[in-house]
Amino acid sequence: MKKLTFDYYMQIDYSETVSSCHFTIKCLPKDTVRQRAGKVRVQLSPDVPYSTGTDAFGNGQIYGWDDVEHTTFSFRITGDVYTGLDHREEAADEDMLAVFRHPHGLNRAGEALIAYHEKLAGDLPGDAYEKALFLTHRLHEDFVYEKGCTNVDTTAEQAWVQGRGVCQDYAHILIALLHREGIPARYVTGMIPGEGASHAWVEIEKEGFWYGIDPTNDTPVGDDHIKLGVGRDAADCLINRGIMHGGGRQSQVVRVSVEEIEGRRT
Amino acid sequence: MEERIQQLDLLQHTDTVNELLARYGVKFGIYKNNVFKEQLFPFDAIPRIIEHEEFLFLERGLEQRVMALNLFIKDIYSKKQIVKDGIVPEDFIFASSGYMAECEGAMPPKGIYAHISGIDLVKGKDGNWYILEDNLRVPSGASYPMIARELCRRSSPDTFHDNHLEDNRNYAGLLRHTMDYVNTGGHTVILTPGRYNAAYFEHSYLAEKTGAHLVNGSELRVKNDRLYYVSMDGSLEPVGAVYRRISDDYLDPMNFRADSLIGIPHIYDVFRKGNVALLNAPGNGVADDKGIYYFVPKMIRYYLDEEPVLSNAPTYLPFYEEDMRYVLEHFDRLVLKDVAEAGGYGVVFGNTMSKEQKEDFIALLKREPRRFIAQEVIDFQDLDIMDDFFVVPRKADLRAFVLMAEEPLVWKSGLTRFSRNPDSFIVNSSQGGGFKDTWVLSQ
Repeated sequence: MKKLTFDYYMQIDYSETVSSCHFTIKCLPKDTVRQRAGKVRVQLSPDVPYSTGTDAFGNGQIYGWDDVEHTTFSFRITGDVYTGLDHREEAADEDMLAVFRHPHGLNRAGEALIAYHEKLAGDLPGDAYEKALFLTHRLHEDFVYEKGCTNVDTTAEQAWVQGRGVCQDYAHILIALLHREGIPARYVTGMIPGEGASHAWVEIEKEGFWYGIDPTNDTPVGDDHIKLGVGRDAADCLINRGIMHGGGRQSQVVRVSVEEIEGRRT
Repeated sequence: MEERIQQLDLLQHTDTVNELLARYGVKFGIYKNNVFKEQLFPFDAIPRIIEHEEFLFLERGLEQRVMALNLFIKDIYSKKQIVKDGIVPEDFIFASSGYMAECEGAMPPKGIYAHISGIDLVKGKDGNWYILEDNLRVPSGASYPMIARELCRRSSPDTFHDNHLEDNRNYAGLLRHTMDYVNTGGHTVILTPGRYNAAYFEHSYLAEKTGAHLVNGSELRVKNDRLYYVSMDGSLEPVGAVYRRISDDYLDPMNFRADSLIGIPHIYDVFRKGNVALLNAPGNGVADDKGIYYFVPKMIRYYLDEEPVLSNAPTYLPFYEEDMRYVLEHFDRLVLKDVAEAGGYGVVFGNTMSKEQKEDFIALLKREPRRFIAQEVIDFQDLDIMDDFFVVPRKADLRAFVLMAEEPLVWKSGLTRFSRNPDSFIVNSSQGGGFKDTWVLSQ
């Protein structure tokens, strides 16, 4: 178990005035058997009222409408989270498992990924979790981490074909491969120490439990991972989404810090 | 019956009725090569007549069907029992484009998903009615027989004095009740994408007849978890029910397609909290997918423990090996439909393909068996239409409207569409068809 403190800051600067905007932010640490969130603080700028709710995947969200003229929109979410309380999470909502068993949106395999899966299929171990670890190792060897060559709309297939990408792409590709094996797999957004930005990984279901695997770092999810949202793909759990009137050009900055404040290994 | 129709005084007034329809702007718009064109919807004055007893039978079948479809959608977005029990394979739900995971766990007011359903049927030459498809998203068309009846009555009052038929002018009242029944408190509005939508005439006509506000997206606003109508003076008035004539994708740019300019940001979040009714509820596409159609009779048995009153057209799913074999063996006499397409698109008849087309199609079918259904071509009855001074037979279908409030209720009329092309089975208005009034005899 660890106690981590986090600070997620996002700022968008506009070249022209924004007269109004709508925003949805899914950046609230989930309370699960794996992690427990302490007090979480939300600061918006402009400081407007917001609503809270839960989306179809159980992700906490805050959303609202900002009609104060501004050229900078930002939010900061801070808090403490106890992590690593358990190594797995019960798949409490078993009705949803089927939803995570089928290709959707950005995690769809195309010809190239299907061929890659076929190449590996013969060597796969029998157990679902072992399979996921095996695929993760291979993916880590066969795919290159490189920033800036993919974006939020890049599909698993596109990323695989170009052979490089970031955590989002690793996660989508792994999900696509797991779907080929009929294993329920879902996309997770979150934070880890030292990354400076948000992170993404994968959870797979085996015998009623979800297990986290971080394909970018080729490791099972441990007590360094703070989980924010889940979905079928990145689009289901975008950390921030917005539309605005006006604004001109925009540039976005995200700064994330995660630090251990106290803890002991169990 | 034949004789009775020929003697209708109404037929003398066909031109008058069509002129009035044009004057009232009874049109539908189509986009062809990205150009918006409005077309008159040609009206044929010879009514389709359905006998009293026959309609009672249709009513029983349609009510049963819409009841089961509603239970199905509710089940899919909650327990998924029908999938767990193996009645519908997972692939036909979660891999279908109509399924929207965003709707999981959202319970619409009073648990109703399909408030207004448009069920398309045809009457075969064998005398049996067959269901062709269910339209549970934003089915349109009720306004056409409504206004046609109104104008026919005005042009030829005698016709309606001499014939005993159900008055179909109650549709507005039924629709209003359907909207009020689920209203969570506040105004009832009809949300239109605007005048360049194919069915804009209908949106404005239904608003006028039901007394609901006709609004576009920019006139609605979400604030503090409620939906409001922005009135002329800028004040906000609460809205409790939205009969939205916008597809799910465009309804809310913050939850669905981000590039939608006609939706209302966060309206779906308000709906999820139970603070507004959306008619029809989002996510219904999972039940009117052409692939799911095959399973509707099974749903009726599963949820209602009843035998289906109305039959489907005999349908095969190439997804099942046995059906694939049948389809390949009888390819030339079947019609094949792409499950993702609508409006008469993506429909091909086996016997019209060249050898090459057929080979290509079969290769595609084998590659993506889930994408197609195959059906026996139903030889449906012709209806008489007036072609200038001649009466000629043409293919026609019937879109029946079923409204769901306390219980499902079938409107005693419907939209009869016909193909103007003598060789065509496709009656969709987007493909140039015309329409008739549908008379249900009251005795």
